[in-house]
Amino acid sequence: MQTLRMKTELLPTFVEGLRAWGTLHAPVERRPGVFSIEPIRDVSEARPDAIRTILPMKKLLLPPRFVVVARQGDGPPVAGEDVDFSPRVYFGAHACDIHALKILDLMFLSDYPDPYYRRSRESLTVVGYGCMPDDKCFCHSLGTSNVDDGFDLFLNPLEDRFLVTVASARGDDIVRASPELFQPATRQDTLDYLARAKRRAAAATLALDVTDLPYIMELKTEDQVWQELGKKCLCCGSCSMVCPTCSCFNVADEIPCEGCAQRVRTWDACLYRDYALVAGGHNFRADRADRVRNRYYHKQEAFVREFGKPSCVGCGRCIENCPTGINVVDVFRHVRGEL
Amino acid sequence: MSSAIPEPMPVRSAPRKLPTGDNPYLPAPARIMRIREVGPDVRLYDLRFVDPDLAERFRFRPGQFVMLSVLGVGEAPFSLPSSPTRRGTFQLGIRRAGSFTGYLFDHAVEGDSVGVRGPLGNGFPLERFEGQDVLMVAGGLGMVPLRGLLQYLIDLRDRFGRVILLYGTRSPDQVLFRDELQSVARRGDAEVLLTVDQKQDLDWAGHVGVVTELLDDIRLDVSRTYAVACGPPVFYKFVMDKLVKGHFAKDRIYLSLERRMECGVGKCGHCAVGYTFTCLHGPVFSFWDAMNLPELIYT
Repeated sequence: MQTLRMKTELLPTFVEGLRAWGTLHAPVERRPGVFSIEPIRDVSEARPDAIRTILPMKKLLLPPRFVVVARQGDGPPVAGEDVDFSPRVYFGAHACDIHALKILDLMFLSDYPDPYYRRSRESLTVVGYGCMPDDKCFCHSLGTSNVDDGFDLFLNPLEDRFLVTVASARGDDIVRASPELFQPATRQDTLDYLARAKRRAAAATLALDVTDLPYIMELKTEDQVWQELGKKCLCCGSCSMVCPTCSCFNVADEIPCEGCAQRVRTWDACLYRDYALVAGGHNFRADRADRVRNRYYHKQEAFVREFGKPSCVGCGRCIENCPTGINVVDVFRHVRGEL
Repeated sequence: MSSAIPEPMPVRSAPRKLPTGDNPYLPAPARIMRIREVGPDVRLYDLRFVDPDLAERFRFRPGQFVMLSVLGVGEAPFSLPSSPTRRGTFQLGIRRAGSFTGYLFDHAVEGDSVGVRGPLGNGFPLERFEGQDVLMVAGGLGMVPLRGLLQYLIDLRDRFGRVILLYGTRSPDQVLFRDELQSVARRGDAEVLLTVDQKQDLDWAGHVGVVTELLDDIRLDVSRTYAVACGPPVFYKFVMDKLVKGHFAKDRIYLSLERRMECGVGKCGHCAVGYTFTCLHGPVFSFWDAMNLPELIYT
């Protein structure tokens, strides 16, 4: 890891230069206060400071729908070709987004690595940007408010400059391509960064106490809170779609034309009614309450037991997007008996 | 008697590959060599990989499964009722249950090509069974994966103590592999006890009643016996209760579970129960592990 400084007025030049590493993507303001990740033409469109995009970075890695296996005529089945594996750059990843990426890496690159994920992950250059938490962020509770690796470059905005962290050889290439933009970081930069870190901590007002949470959840498996949530939750799956670590998928076969066939993978959500339905009609989670409980257990209990950390990064997207106002922090305060 | 050393937690492994391909989602072509009816709406398919090299090197462990597919129709998991000790071909036992199996029954014929990915899952802990007695308890279609285990135990007979199979079905016509099981029993390779819930005016000289009643008819040394159960969800509750009452330690009982699976390699999420992925850490679990997972059995 290496730390540099860059003057604020050089940002447009820097971002323009990122195009050499692939199609440039960044948060774009679609409606006032609503941001989505889009390819950008003019660097002034980029809003890396946007607190959260509707869909997270996972949409750049595994599209909502793509062909896994295809066959033409009597030929053998071959891997689908419709995922865009061309080089892309994402400018504006926050610390929680990068932690989410690392969780997806754990899922998709262990055991039997997912070749589609691997290729798009390898072709994605990640340039992070230091955010300022709002009232829906609880990343500091989950240890995801800062990040050391999993990205190429990270820009922390200070008053009139950025503190630039270089975390990969590709990041180093980007810096070396435009050496005139960067200078070595100084002691003052460190002091200013620490002052900003304090302001960030003060801005983070929402907190989720994860102390001993897996064990408490085990004790609360049969708690009434899940029945109550089951009544409130519509099982619409919005929280899963916008979650940066939710990556469940469904697979279905299609016959798009005479003599050809394809197997298509689409985003799925464990809240959907048929998620655990097997042939013969048995549904292992027919009740809404069971499905809601399963989602929370998977994130905060099961994932901890399997990977040693929860699969929640505290980004607040599920809070922002739930149509019935379910707030994950309140759910766990209920579980703890605090509400 | 229970071991004090805890089972290792299921954790993800370093990257590995399936014998059927580097891309774990890409099926390898296999040919249907033979189709036999083995029960009402249940068929046994003999398959052989088209690639002769793969056909020879394909190894699996009883209790593992494969994803079988016809591109354009669908894909689903099926357990292997054959034993890896018998090479070249492998078998799948399939019941007509949904749209994909419906297609197989109505359209797939001998000589057709299908897609196979695997082997998947953990399989039965065969090393633990060596030198021990093995009690198998099958309910209905649960006989399919246990038939692979039975073949394996018989093929390597000297390595194991008593081999006992208790098998219950709803009616006499639903007993899968009936002739085969009778000849296994005749040869003395295994003790086989069959039962049906109802005789239904059919020819049946055996026991009538639920499979747990058969446990009353045999004497077991539970300190040297492993129990393996496979059957529909409701079956597990009664079998587990009976075995535990019969003083089996909960980690000497194994069971194989069914879940919806789309990928089979721990990615799609559908088979996740508690902290395990049935496809990756299962489908075989000790009762001790299974009973501590929410929703795993008693649903």
